[in-house]
Amino acid sequence: MPAYKLTYFNARGRAEPIRLLFAAAGIKYEDARIEGADWPALKPKTPMGYLPILEVDGTTLCESTAIARFVAKRAGLVGKDDLQQAKADMIVDGMKDILKKLILMVLEKDEIKKEELKTDISEKTLPEFLSKYENLANPSGFFVGDSLSWVDVTFYNLIERVRAMFPGDHLKGKPNLVKVMANVKANPGIAKWVKERPESAF
Amino acid sequence: MPAYKLTYFNVRGRGELIRLLFAAGEIPYEDVRIESDNWPELKPKTPMGQVPILEVDGEVICQSMAIARFVAREAGLLGKTHLDQARADMLLDGGIDVGKLFEEMVMEKDASKKAEKKKEFGEKTLPPFLALYEGFAGDNGYFVGYSLTWSDIAFFNMMDFITAEFPSALDGYCNLTKVIKIVKRVPGIAKWLKERPITDN
Repeated sequence: MPAYKLTYFNARGRAEPIRLLFAAAGIKYEDARIEGADWPALKPKTPMGYLPILEVDGTTLCESTAIARFVAKRAGLVGKDDLQQAKADMIVDGMKDILKKLILMVLEKDEIKKEELKTDISEKTLPEFLSKYENLANPSGFFVGDSLSWVDVTFYNLIERVRAMFPGDHLKGKPNLVKVMANVKANPGIAKWVKERPESAF
Repeated sequence: MPAYKLTYFNVRGRGELIRLLFAAGEIPYEDVRIESDNWPELKPKTPMGQVPILEVDGEVICQSMAIARFVAREAGLLGKTHLDQARADMLLDGGIDVGKLFEEMVMEKDASKKAEKKKEFGEKTLPPFLALYEGFAGDNGYFVGYSLTWSDIAFFNMMDFITAEFPSALDGYCNLTKVIKIVKRVPGIAKWLKERPITDN
């Protein structure tokens, strides 16, 4: 059984989808969290100078989506055939744009610009995104096929992040997406992890 | 044998990696190129309002990397093990930011801003990226393991765009130069490079 070691900061951030997938599949791993002060020493030892990284089978992977997809494969959560896997990839990739906008908004130092970005997200980007994704999810509450996959888990994590920044019932009138969230929360491994995971600011 | 129909604009852009992978795998497909005038009508029929899209087995897939990964799998170019595949994914994802900055530079309409961006890209962005990837490429000319994968082809495609603006970018990078040579010699790719429509970008 290979040992998995995930290294990230003490935050949910870009590592949380990976942690959720390990939890969903019941796969044991070392959840290493480093302090900001320790980062400069570690940085040159990473493949591309950033986190998260996953050490497995004597090699080190970076790029959170590449790691998540790899863990999903090991966990049997990628989709049943190549077409389902392609759909899964497409739906995960489609989330990157809105995530980028959220991060830009969070990092914006100019208060006026920040408010503008916030308004753009809450009034335009987010509603459009959720409409599209309501159509991509099926009435059973799965994005791909008829069982939990890494897309559902990734979506769940994104919505949790959105809710932290934009409180509100964004999924009102979107029954498919509401079911996706319920399906992910109902996974025993994920339910346990969400209860037990370390508290962090983001 | 499933029918594959790729729809994109008449440019290389975000469609070319997919076309190169079909070519490498010698997989026949319909290479549909639409005019900008026809786009507004097609847009609402796509899953996320964007192209390229790939129609296969009654499904429509969007997101160029998702499509590329799917075609790479069909062509046997994904990587042999899950770990190899993850490594290929990681190398591809690692190039995306650089690709975006290059795109921004090319699309910049203001001439003096463009010159500034070009200088910044050529002097600050590109060299560390190539130095990093020279280390990732093995001295046998493959990024993953000991055989061709889609990460080699993706790197070739990216440099195809970049060397149009920076012709000597790969000077001195032995491993990266080998990767390019090997990709160009893949029979399906050699044929495609000779026959593909010439487009500005």
